[in-house]
Formats: sequence, C-alpha cells, structure tokens
Amino acid sequence: MSIENIPFLGKLDSGVPAGPLEKKWDSYKANMKLVNPANKRKYSVIVVGTGLAGGAAAASLAELGYNVKSFCTHDSARRAHSIAAQGGINAAKSYPNDGDSAWRLFYDTIKGGDYRAREANVYRLAQNSTSIIDQCVAQGVPFAREYSGELANRSFGGAQVSRTFYARGQTGQQLLLGAYSALMKEVDKGKVTLYPYREMLDVVMVDGKARGIITRNLSTGEIERHAADAVVLATGGYGRVYFLSTNAMNSNVTAIWRAHKRGALFGNPCYVQIHPTCIPVSGNHQAKLTLMSESLRNDGRVWVPKKKEDCKKDPSLIPEEDRDYYLERKYPSFGNLAPRDISSRAAKECCDEGRGVGESGLAVYLDFRDAIKRDGEPAIRERYGNLFDMYHEITNENPYKTPMRIYPAVHYTMGGLWVDYSLQTTLPGLFAAGEANFSDHGANRLGASALMQGLSDGYFVLPFTVTNYLGTHATELLKKVDTQHPAFESAEKEVRAGIQKILEVGKKGSRTPTEIFRDLGKVVWEKIGMARSEKGLNEAIAEIKKLQNDFDTNLKLTGDDKLNKNLETAGRVADFLELAHLMAQDALDRKESCGGHFRLESQTPDGEAQRNDDEYAYVAAWEYKGRGKDSIVHKEPLVYENVKLSVRSYK
Amino acid sequence: MSASNSKTMNVRLKIWRQEGPSAPGAFEEYSLSGILVDMSFLEMLDTLNEKLIHEGKRPVEFESDCREGICGTCSLMVQGQAHGPVRGATTCQLYMRSFQDGELITIEPWRAKAFPILRDLITDRRAFDRIQMAGGYTGAKTGPHADANAILIPKDIADRAMDAAACIGCGACVAACPNASASLFTSAKVTQFALLPQGHADRKRRVIRMVDQMDKEGFGSCSNLQECEAACPKKISIQNIAIMKQEYLKAAISADFRAGLGSADGGA
Amino acid sequence: MVPLTRLFSSTLGRKYLMGASGMALVLFLVVHLLGNLTLYAPNGDLLNTYAARLQGLGIGLIALEVGLALTILLHIITAFQVTYTSKLARPIGYDSPKTKGGPSKSTAGSRNMILTGIVLGVFLVVHILQFRFGPSMEEGYTTTVNGAMVHDLYRVVVEAFVQPLWVAFYVGCMVFLGFHLRHGYWSAFQSLGIINPRWSKPIHTLGLLIALLLAFGFLFIPIFIYFTQSGGGNP
Repeated sequence: MSIENIPFLGKLDSGVPAGPLEKKWDSYKANMKLVNPANKRKYSVIVVGTGLAGGAAAASLAELGYNVKSFCTHDSARRAHSIAAQGGINAAKSYPNDGDSAWRLFYDTIKGGDYRAREANVYRLAQNSTSIIDQCVAQGVPFAREYSGELANRSFGGAQVSRTFYARGQTGQQLLLGAYSALMKEVDKGKVTLYPYREMLDVVMVDGKARGIITRNLSTGEIERHAADAVVLATGGYGRVYFLSTNAMNSNVTAIWRAHKRGALFGNPCYVQIHPTCIPVSGNHQAKLTLMSESLRNDGRVWVPKKKEDCKKDPSLIPEEDRDYYLERKYPSFGNLAPRDISSRAAKECCDEGRGVGESGLAVYLDFRDAIKRDGEPAIRERYGNLFDMYHEITNENPYKTPMRIYPAVHYTMGGLWVDYSLQTTLPGLFAAGEANFSDHGANRLGASALMQGLSDGYFVLPFTVTNYLGTHATELLKKVDTQHPAFESAEKEVRAGIQKILEVGKKGSRTPTEIFRDLGKVVWEKIGMARSEKGLNEAIAEIKKLQNDFDTNLKLTGDDKLNKNLETAGRVADFLELAHLMAQDALDRKESCGGHFRLESQTPDGEAQRNDDEYAYVAAWEYKGRGKDSIVHKEPLVYENVKLSVRSYK
Repeated sequence: MSASNSKTMNVRLKIWRQEGPSAPGAFEEYSLSGILVDMSFLEMLDTLNEKLIHEGKRPVEFESDCREGICGTCSLMVQGQAHGPVRGATTCQLYMRSFQDGELITIEPWRAKAFPILRDLITDRRAFDRIQMAGGYTGAKTGPHADANAILIPKDIADRAMDAAACIGCGACVAACPNASASLFTSAKVTQFALLPQGHADRKRRVIRMVDQMDKEGFGSCSNLQECEAACPKKISIQNIAIMKQEYLKAAISADFRAGLGSADGGA
Repeated sequence: MVPLTRLFSSTLGRKYLMGASGMALVLFLVVHLLGNLTLYAPNGDLLNTYAARLQGLGIGLIALEVGLALTILLHIITAFQVTYTSKLARPIGYDSPKTKGGPSKSTAGSRNMILTGIVLGVFLVVHILQFRFGPSMEEGYTTTVNGAMVHDLYRVVVEAFVQPLWVAFYVGCMVFLGFHLRHGYWSAFQSLGIINPRWSKPIHTLGLLIALLLAFGFLFIPIFIYFTQSGGGNP
C-alpha cells in the first residue's frame, strides 16, 4: 500500500496561550473564533470512536448544532472499552475538605507523569475535572453516596487527598453510559447519525485539511466514504500491540495509525503503563488478561520463594524464612504499596532470576494469609469479596486458602497522536482525544485519571476548539467537499488494495493473523516492555521486521471480504507491526528512564529510574516514512514555568 | 498449586452456522481434543477457529470484546441457556471446567425477530439502541450545571438506581425469555431514571416512548416468568419491570402529560 | 394522556388487561366456591335456595353474568394477542432451551398458560351448558324449599357427578385451574406493577395457597357427591 504522506515541514507549535497558567484556558475561550448558531448547521463533524472522549464529544458538538457523524466498531456505541474502567474518576472538588484544589491535582498529575507532560494541558484538565462531576450527576450517573445523600469519595494511588468519585467497581461503565445516553439523545433529535460496525481505515485530506474518512462496514464488508468539515479521532490506546493486555479484543491502533501514515505525528509511542496486579498468563491459548484492583495490595503481601527449587512447591509448605517479601525488603517505607512501575519491574526481576511461581514461572504470590490471621476472613471478604470471587472464577483457586498469583500486564498507553493545546494533530482539521492522543499524562498515568481526561477532552475541550477551527477556516470549509472528490477516490482505492492484498496473500500462506500477532506480542512484551535496553530494542526491530515479512508473504486467512473477524484482525496486526517498530525506535532514542519507560542503561546505583531532564525534557513526535523504514523525530521542548522538576523516591 | 492447570478434555460442538441475514442456517458438528479445563469458553472457540483456518475452512463468527463481563458484546446461547449454565456470568466468564469431558455442547445465537442474525453466532442488537434513543437519558446538555452536591440523593435510592444501571445491554434477557421480551432491558433504564431526581422532569415522556419503541421493534410480551433475571449476568431484578409498569400506567393516564411524542404518537 | 386504544394495544397495556381481568376472575372463583360450599349440605336445599336467590336478582343477575362473560372474553382475547405477539417475536426457536434456575419461575405450568387457559375455556363452555343451561324447571327439575317451588339444581348436579367420567373430567380440569392460578395469581400483581420486593415473595406464596385452595375446593365437590350420592361409594 503506498499511502501518500504529507511531509511535516513546520515547527511543532503547541499553541498554548500566553498568560498565567490558571488563565490560559479562559484566555483561549475569550479569544476563540465562534460560529453563529445559524451557520453551525452548515458544518458537519466526524467523530470516530464512542468511548468517553468520542461519545462525549459527539454529543456535545451535536448539542451545539453541528451535524455529527459518529462511528464505532461495535454494534452499539455503548460497548467502547471505557466501559471496563473500574476504580473511579478524579476531580478536584475537595468535598472532604482535605486541601485539594485544581493546583494540587495539576501538580500530582505532572509529578506522577514524571515531568513529561505539557503544563498548560494538565492544568486545564484539573480545572475541568469539577465540571465533569456536575455534568455526570446531571446525566443521572449513579455515583456512590453517603447516608447524607452527598457524593462519596475515596483515595487512590499517587495522591494524599480523597478526590476519586466512583460507582461501585463500574465507574467507567456508568460514565460511558452517561455519555452514550447523551449521544443517543442527539441521535433521536437527528443531530447525530450513528455508524456502528464501522472501522476507520483512512483519513481523507483535501487541500491540506482533513475532510473525511474511509470506513469498512464490518457487518457487510462494504467500503464507504464519509465527508465532513473536521474529523475527531477518539479511538483509544494501542496496548493490544502486546497481544496480551487488559485491553479489549477489538481495541486497536488502526485509526490513529492510518492518520499517522497520512502525516499526523505520533507522540511518545514508547510510554506504556504496565499494571502490577493482573491474573497471570495461564497458557498459549489466552487472548486477554484480567486486571485485579490495585487496592488488594493494601492487605496482601507480595512474595516469591528465596530458593528456585521451591517455586513449584505448594506455597503453604514454604516456611517463613524461605520467603522473599521483596517489595518490603527493597522499599521499606512504601512496602507492598510501592508505585505501579516499581512493583511491576520488581516482579519481573524475580521471575527473570528464576524465582517466579506457577506453571509458567511468570507469577508472584499475593498472599492474604497474614491479613486473614490478623483481621479474620469475614473482614477480608467484606473488603475484597468480589475480587476474590473473580479470581476464583478465572483460576479455580481459592485465594482465602492459597495465595493469589499475579503478574504485571499492559493496560494503558500514554503515547498517541501528537496534539497541540486545542487537541489538533499536525494535520489541520484532524483532532485526537482521550487515550488516542499523546495525552496529559506524560510518561506515567495516575489511577482514576484516564476517565477524567477522556471526558474533559470530549465535554469541555473539543466543543470549543473544534468551533474555533471551523470559525477560523469558515470561508474554505463552507465550500463543501463531496465524496466524489478525487482524494476520496484514491484513498478508497488504497484501502481496497490493502484488503485485497491481505486476502490474496492469505490464500497461500500458513500462519494465521493471531499466530503472527501472538509472536509480535511476545517480542514487544519482552523487549519493549517493563525494562528496555539498546541491545534488546535493536533485536526487537530485527524480529519485528521478520514478522512483517512473515505477514506480507506467509499469512493464512480463510473466509470472504464480508463479515470476517479474522480479516479485521489481520488488518490491525499489519498496523501493530509498524507501530511496534516505531515504539522500539522511540524507546531506543530516549536514552533515559522516566515513568513507564525504563532503560536499563539509565538507572541509579540502586536500580531506580534515572531521568535526564537536560537532554530529554521533550515530547518525541514521530513522522512516518514508510513501512520498514525508520521514522523521523521532531521535538517539542517541555517548558516548566510553574513546577520544579524533582526526583521521585520510594525507599 | 494449580493442579488443574494442565488437565485437558475433549469436547464435541454443535454450532449454528449461517452465511448471512437471509441465508438459511444449520447446525454443524466439530470435535476438539486437548482443551484445557481452565480455558475460558471463548478461548476454546478461538482454538476451534485457528484449527478451522488451518484446515482452510471459514471460522465461526462470534463476538466478544472486553472478555471480563462488562461490555456486553459476547452473546452465546450455550446448552440452551443464555451465556451458558453459570448464573451471574457472561459467556466470556464461562470456563470449560463447567462442562464434562466429551460433552456435546450446543451453541446458538440469540434468537429473536428483533435481533436478526448477521452471520453464524452474531446478531444485530441495534434494537436496544433505538429503545435507548427513545428516552433513555435525562436530557441534560453539556455545560454548566448545579454543583453535584446540590442534589442530595439518599444512599439507598442511589444504590437501587445503580442496581438498575448495571445493565450491560447484552440481550441475554431477550434471548432467555420464552417470549423474546425486552422488558428487563427497557425497565432497567426506566427505573434508573424513575428513582433519581435528575430523571423526573421527563419521566412520563421517557417511559411512553421507550415502551412504544420496544413494541415497535417486535419484542414479545412479558409473561412474568423471571427467566430474564435468572439469565441476566448482572442479576437485574424483575422488580424493575414492575416499576416500569407503574410508570407507564401513570404516564398513560396522566392528564397533565401532553405527549409531543413524535410521529408515532398521533398528538396529545 | 395517551389514547386508551393505544394504551391497551401496547404490550404493557394488554398485560394490564390480562392482570386486571385475571384478578377479577380469581375474585369470582372465590365467590363461586363459597356458593358451591352449599353442595356439602345434606339434601340440596341450601344449594337450591342459593340458586333461587340468585335468580331472584333478575336483571341484576343478567348484568353480573354479562360482566363476567365480558371479563372472561377480555382475558381470552388478550391471552391470544399476547401469545401471538410472542410467537412472532421468536420465529425460530432454540434447539433445546433450558431454564437457568435461580429466581426463574419458568415451569411447565407457567410457560404453558395458554394451554391451561384453553383447557379451562373448553371446560367453561361445557360447565355452563351443563349447569347454567342444563335441565330446566320445564323439564321437571323442580323441588320445594320452604313451601316455594324452585329449580332443582341440586338434582342436575347429582345426576352429573354420580357418573365417574364427569367426576374425572371435573377433577382433571380443576388440576389445570390450579396450575393456571399458580402462576396467574402472582403474575397479575406483577403485570399491574402493584408489587414491591417486600411483597413479591409473600404474594407468590399466597398464589400457591390460592391455587391449591381453589383447585381442591372445587375438585372435592364432584368427588364428595360421587361418594355420598352414588351407590358405588358409600351406600
């Protein structure tokens, strides 16, 4: 497939308004171009994705009066993967009167992101957080409440205040259903047209502006053209490049990757968050991992046997002196509550030493024996009953009797399409929101912040910035482009050719898309996972190229070009293969450790992450140069005017 | 330790195959050996599909996404039961250890006129979206609202609303109902907003429109068998259906409700 | 306000009608059974007096009967509508559907209300022809109670229930009535939405009691008469 890429010629301009941090967003809104109400109905906006960011954006833009076309890969907009978020959503409401403020939420987020996020964006996120809660309550989201009838809060990792709002363990679901209901309200009014079962396969650029997309109808196989005046991508993260992750089966990088190939720069692809407490891999058949709430570490003790020969033994037979409570040993002050990245890496080290437990040797124990002895089984059941049941259901082991086995797994990607302050990518008229953009989380995301960012982007940022874009380019955009335009013609042709090629190769080869995908996942997990080294990354690039070649020449596929899940997978794997290459390149280029990116070459004498602010305090925005070719990096320097860069320590 | 981890079993599968919405369908039988008892049911089907591709055959189309029981995508009738034999679980939360070695397992799609089959085991459940569209929202627009704590909601009410809101829209209620009724789905939404003060302003319009849409989609009538609640992976109670019935009757006979209900309405 | 035609043509509306008519019929059955208890009295005088009093209502009785007939008709029509809608809703059935247990009230009885209902409908026709429009005073079925000549309904009843086949038919039909009420009683409350978590279970249990009481209350009558009046049982 030869996709014409729009070369990036300009300088990366974040477009952050001047003025004091807390006035920047107000200043943006005060100076933005407006579109008068009568003209709004003349514009149409495409929103791809119906998760928190996409659903909220589509509903809000339609409420303003724009004609919105909303696309999702599922049968219903309600199934986007935001639905699986459990814990909660942060907001600086300060209801518990514990000293929270927009500033503190901003500061915690910047620090939690290891000083690799843009100050102005993060501050806006913190400011918007309170409006999100008001908005969701107005929509009827059944947040947890106190007996007083007021909203309940709980605390979450990385913060010293209680600012997390929640709806049982299904906060993501309830927030998504709130956005979905707002979206359906607009569908009923005729302001939103829904396009379910659609996968976006290309962005169409006309005269240097995003004017439409090419989609495939997954239920019929039809290739379709859709024109609009602006395009928003809210298609989520790319964690499934690891094959095994907590992401949903259909989560993929394709939409943002095709935009990237068209010329949108990709920001910080190597920033990936790995969650320490997941149910370990149980066999080669597995396609998906399940997260166990981090809260378990409040009472569970993490350990592995001291001696390798004990690893296959019944854990109850291993005496106390032969157990290594490695987190308590290494991080006495934080112990089992050490941050996610630290805990994940420590587990990996133990397993690398051959002290991992379980069938595969890739697991550590999370033991509740002492907590049960101390507080009694009923108390533990009260706190974690549902999680213990879930664990039991999946593993068929009773965690009240035998320790849980856990292992880290990928669950969020901080990287994504590079966007400026208005969430616009380097392609004019193409916006990216939620996990799909390179985000406000820097190199590491705090718990309960993903939901906040998705909704902030969708409800409270895009309605203004898309309006500003449409207002600014009114003369040009009011000249309508229809789908007969040659740009649509050629984009569709390329998309068709790509699918045809996969189907053709698929007739002759011997390896299924899933088999190649699984191999790719292993490479990415082992070499671009929790610990990265120059040697490993170079090996990864070589292995990825080999897999790309395998995919291009030896793919095995059956079925037709109509409804065909394996054909969908194949298309996504093609993009993951290219993305993996870019991740390795970015990881190789960033010769420092920060947040989720840990370079073995850059650590302190006691094995902790060593940041290098002098050389690497920038956003790496990559330009695509062709399949198998190295990409080119552009740098957006990160300027910290309001916070002082410091070192995180957990000893 | 994980003693059962490596135990394997054989299964025979009887699966509904259907090329497209209007094509005739039929059962086909397959056998699989060496299936791990700790595999999930969908991983077993993944294994079958890999085998079919290698044999040059078209894989069995089925849907799944989150594989942790919250997205509501997976939707299989297993052994004549929606989501299989385990209560309070979706198909993706079903494990092979729930079956006997050598058992013949029948797998069918949801069957309802309102859920046409797209291919094999995949059905089109957009009828649910259209019911939601008819009124499953409060009408609050994006923008400034009263402070979240300005509305006090008793904890018990919030909890009951949450019980209803837990619906994942999978369609098991319709699939399991001998009448293919969508009452449980529709009532869960109606109830959530009937309980919460935020939903009170448009509660009459909501219930009338949602029920009308439910009927228009061609779902059956509720016979109070409670099979939907038994099949619901979130164990949503048919108490919600009773509440919907109250709401509907109250709205229908209410004199101060003048329905601007759209074309199907025929005026107030 | 929604036009009544629309209200009662919705799936919910039909169930309101079904539930309300069902409740009215249960009420009728209770009264009917109380009336029938007169059959346990030694010589048919009590029954015949009761029947004569009813007849004495004149136009009132006609009105009650018409009302009852309309209620039954409504119950039957909505039943067929509901069943038809549900059949349309699932044109192709499952290979071998199975209940998931737990709270499910799906039993052979509750799933086949339409069948038990049809049996009861047929029974009703027979029952009315046999007793309401059975042998009349003109045909000599008369007796004297307290000096007045009245219709000897008791004789009509006894003549029927000394025959084992009629006893079997009535007993059989009353078993179906029991199954119909077992689900129907509780179901009426649920259909009308006049139920809440606290009352759901008691009402369901009460449904069982009412079903047993009514079914056995009615079915013991023919048995009692058979054994007390025919030579075969207790001479």
